[in-house]
Amino acid sequence: MSRKIEVIEIGRDLSQENDAAAQRIREDNAKRHRYLVNVMASPGAGKTSVLLKTAEALCSRFRLGVMEADIAAQVDAERMQAAGLHAVQVHTGGECAMDAAMTAQGLAAFGEVPVDLVFLENVGNLVCPAENDVGADLNVEILSVPEGDDKPLKYPLMFRVCPVVLINKIDTEPAFDFDREAVRARILALRPDAKIFFMSAKTGEGVQEWADWLTAQAKKKI
Amino acid sequence: MQKVKTIALKKQILDDNGREADALRAALKSKGVFYLNLMSSPGSGKTTLIRETAKWLQPRYRVGVMEADIDSDVDAAALLASGIESVQLHTGGMCHLDAAMSRQGLSALGDAFDVVILENVGNLVCPAEFDTGASACAAILSVPEGDDKPLKYPLMFEQVDAVCVSKVDTAAYFDFDRKRFADYVHRIHPGVPIFFLSAKTGEGVAEWVTWLAEQIEGWKGKADEQKN
Repeated sequence: MSRKIEVIEIGRDLSQENDAAAQRIREDNAKRHRYLVNVMASPGAGKTSVLLKTAEALCSRFRLGVMEADIAAQVDAERMQAAGLHAVQVHTGGECAMDAAMTAQGLAAFGEVPVDLVFLENVGNLVCPAENDVGADLNVEILSVPEGDDKPLKYPLMFRVCPVVLINKIDTEPAFDFDREAVRARILALRPDAKIFFMSAKTGEGVQEWADWLTAQAKKKI
Repeated sequence: MQKVKTIALKKQILDDNGREADALRAALKSKGVFYLNLMSSPGSGKTTLIRETAKWLQPRYRVGVMEADIDSDVDAAALLASGIESVQLHTGGMCHLDAAMSRQGLSALGDAFDVVILENVGNLVCPAEFDTGASACAAILSVPEGDDKPLKYPLMFEQVDAVCVSKVDTAAYFDFDRKRFADYVHRIHPGVPIFFLSAKTGEGVAEWVTWLAEQIEGWKGKADEQKN
């Protein structure tokens, strides 16, 4: 009789382990009255600039923290520190996305510093970060006008896992063929309840509406 | 006591892929096929630059394009509409193309080409790690993404044979310092050629295509030497 071959589903086990760790982060944050926002986007979509503008609008309402995830470099964390935010730089060591374990390490790095609204700036990538639950209370996708209105067609998972999409760099619309109604329809086709904000981190247009909406979401939890 | 065996999965995967890629490169070289792997972030203008590049190359070469995406066929459809032979590859959720997928794509495209351009998945991280068996690799970075990207995605800029900076026609809207960018790139990869261009206005495309044509001729020359 031939022996039965044991098949080990590595991918699924890893993902189950990650989901359990993510759930622990959410529970721990709830106990600490801390709200974690996972910000995802392509490289150069303006994650750091959007966060800096958002922080300006929210700094009187929350004690803000930010975790900057990058493969290398610490330019973003330096900009955040300079703006008066508690910033932690996380290097993923070549990984294309944060996972729950790395996020837990990043959160631990805040130590005793009291923060109640924490942003995770994920690695610049529209593919891998969408696959990992990092234990966030809210996933946010930033799409910038120069990237084009067809991106929901090409990276559908990202738009499915994000209940809110920020369309950034609208000040550059005259230089690009970006159709707001087309992008809205493509996002809503993937996720009918998605909330969409059009903004420019450079001019500040639209930032307040997003910041007020985020405040309402966070206040429900903390 | 039994020794615990540790398996470095990632290294093994990369080693296997490297062998597969070398075999593919050798097979293409013997056929005289030049294979370009083009990589960039989502929305940097890969498809638009491929379309313009193909127009320049078509009088001299039979050009085929492989469009790799997680989903959708908008890119391949756009190229076909411009009269450029192309196939759409779906990676099934994978964030990059590897040598085996690249071989599948090439056989789907068929043998009627002497230049094949691969538009890799829009991503500055994973595609840099996987050798696709290409004859040459190039990265596109668009002006709106910012001049600091080589600091954050060093492996991509280390791996490629040329860097195209696209969308220079939009420079007025962004703080993109060409000199600073070139400095960051050359710190990681001394001497790599950088082409500033706009596929929309056509500015700088000739310089890039001239460089590419030299690479194609060099590759074909080597292939002819091999045959003789």
